[in-house]
Amino acid sequence: MRWGMAIELKRCIGCYACVLACKAEHFLPPDIFWNRVLIGEKGKYPTVSKIILSVRCNQCANPKCVDACPTGATQKREDGIVWIDEDKCVGCRYCMVACPYQMRSFYEHEKEYFPGQGLTEHEKIGRILYPHQKGVVQKCVFCKERIDAGLAKGLKPGVDRDASPACQIICPTKAIHFGDLDDPNSEINMIIQTKKGHQFHPEFDTDPSIYYID
Amino acid sequence: MDVKPYEFMVKETPAREWSEGMGSLIAVAMFLGGVSGGLYLTSLYFNNVWGMFIAWIFALGMGLFDMAHLSKPFRAWRIAFRPGSSWISRGFIFVILFIGAAGIQLLINLMTGNPADINPAEIFFRVVAGIFAFGVAIYSGFVVGFVNGVKFWNSGIMPILFVVAGVTGGASVLLATAAYTSAGDFSTIQAMARFMLVFYTIVIFVHLWIATYSGPVARDSARMLVKGNLAGIFWVIIILIGVVVPLIFVFTAGADSPIILMLSAAMVLLGNLALRYSILRAGMYTPLVPE
Repeated sequence: MRWGMAIELKRCIGCYACVLACKAEHFLPPDIFWNRVLIGEKGKYPTVSKIILSVRCNQCANPKCVDACPTGATQKREDGIVWIDEDKCVGCRYCMVACPYQMRSFYEHEKEYFPGQGLTEHEKIGRILYPHQKGVVQKCVFCKERIDAGLAKGLKPGVDRDASPACQIICPTKAIHFGDLDDPNSEINMIIQTKKGHQFHPEFDTDPSIYYID
Repeated sequence: MDVKPYEFMVKETPAREWSEGMGSLIAVAMFLGGVSGGLYLTSLYFNNVWGMFIAWIFALGMGLFDMAHLSKPFRAWRIAFRPGSSWISRGFIFVILFIGAAGIQLLINLMTGNPADINPAEIFFRVVAGIFAFGVAIYSGFVVGFVNGVKFWNSGIMPILFVVAGVTGGASVLLATAAYTSAGDFSTIQAMARFMLVFYTIVIFVHLWIATYSGPVARDSARMLVKGNLAGIFWVIIILIGVVVPLIFVFTAGADSPIILMLSAAMVLLGNLALRYSILRAGMYTPLVPE
């Protein structure tokens, strides 16, 4: 089993809903983003087009970060999800330097969303439900808590909302697909094959689990 | 080069984790490690115990700065457990074993009545310390060279540059030490110091030249160093203060000028530190958005 995503670039409208859903789901602190929307331009005038890329940790099958991590805090699960054991991380940031996609964040200073005005209710609940350890690296983990809880209930990740990543279920244009890349009959594999999905920057030799469809 | 938030990984994005804030302490650690390894190896060759001792002090300094750059230093013991894949883990082991072996070697030397008599136990620890000294000098080059997202760093010449920089710094310190202690082989050390300064300069420019073949981002990094916003550090500190002026001193000053040679060593070390910092500062990631 290897969890992966396929993102249809023609459907993505750059609304940032995936970024905000992730922030809400994991109670992320200010300046910490587990996924981003990159907007660039392609071509020269007059044939210019906009490129919108929804990016996050690619949960690579050959992750540079896992090799780089000197303490074993960054690990890869059997289902392909790369996660960080915050209690082992020493904060050397070598994994951040090693990641060619730059999809990791270092939680250095505790900040409030509204400085001087106290914590919002959301932030207070977040410190209880999803506390973030200061001084360690963090990143997208494909909402592994939702996947694990959903599988325990017999739900199917990528199909059932309660078992799927927050960014996938919030996407208003259904640009993000999630599923098992090792299952040849899965919907995600059908989409990748029929719509000719390609891996994200394969030249980095990391075998990413996120495919993009032009 | 400042990148606005909306340009992050859309344009060439500078690698900032190890060149800003507490992260930049790793540049100091890499510098101390390189010079420590280089100085120990050159001191070993010339049987200069004072040089070995100074190298050992530099290694302790490296350990301190490595700990200082960590946000969770009390967990540092975990770093020793992944030498199979992580260069930082390997380097941590090299540094610990070097400090241990060199420390024991120096202690044995201190306890020996006549330092000219090297007993077999000291020889053993000299060999062990020498092997790990090479590891200490070279491993930071591999740490940086492992990063394939930064083409300016991802080069086979990076470990060579770091070792050569370390040996050059070490040779300069050893030369000053030899002048102070009136070592008999001063002229040989001086010849080595001259050679290393010239070779070090060549390797720097070879690295920059190779970077121009490694893609547009690496080329821009090299350009940043040579004529961009790091040009001041590169030409004034790394080349002029770090190489040209010390070369003049090393060619003109003799064993009777220990102060000038000490000044020369300090300038080489400053250039060495500036080299490591500017390499880390010039590194940029390839944009994710195609152009």
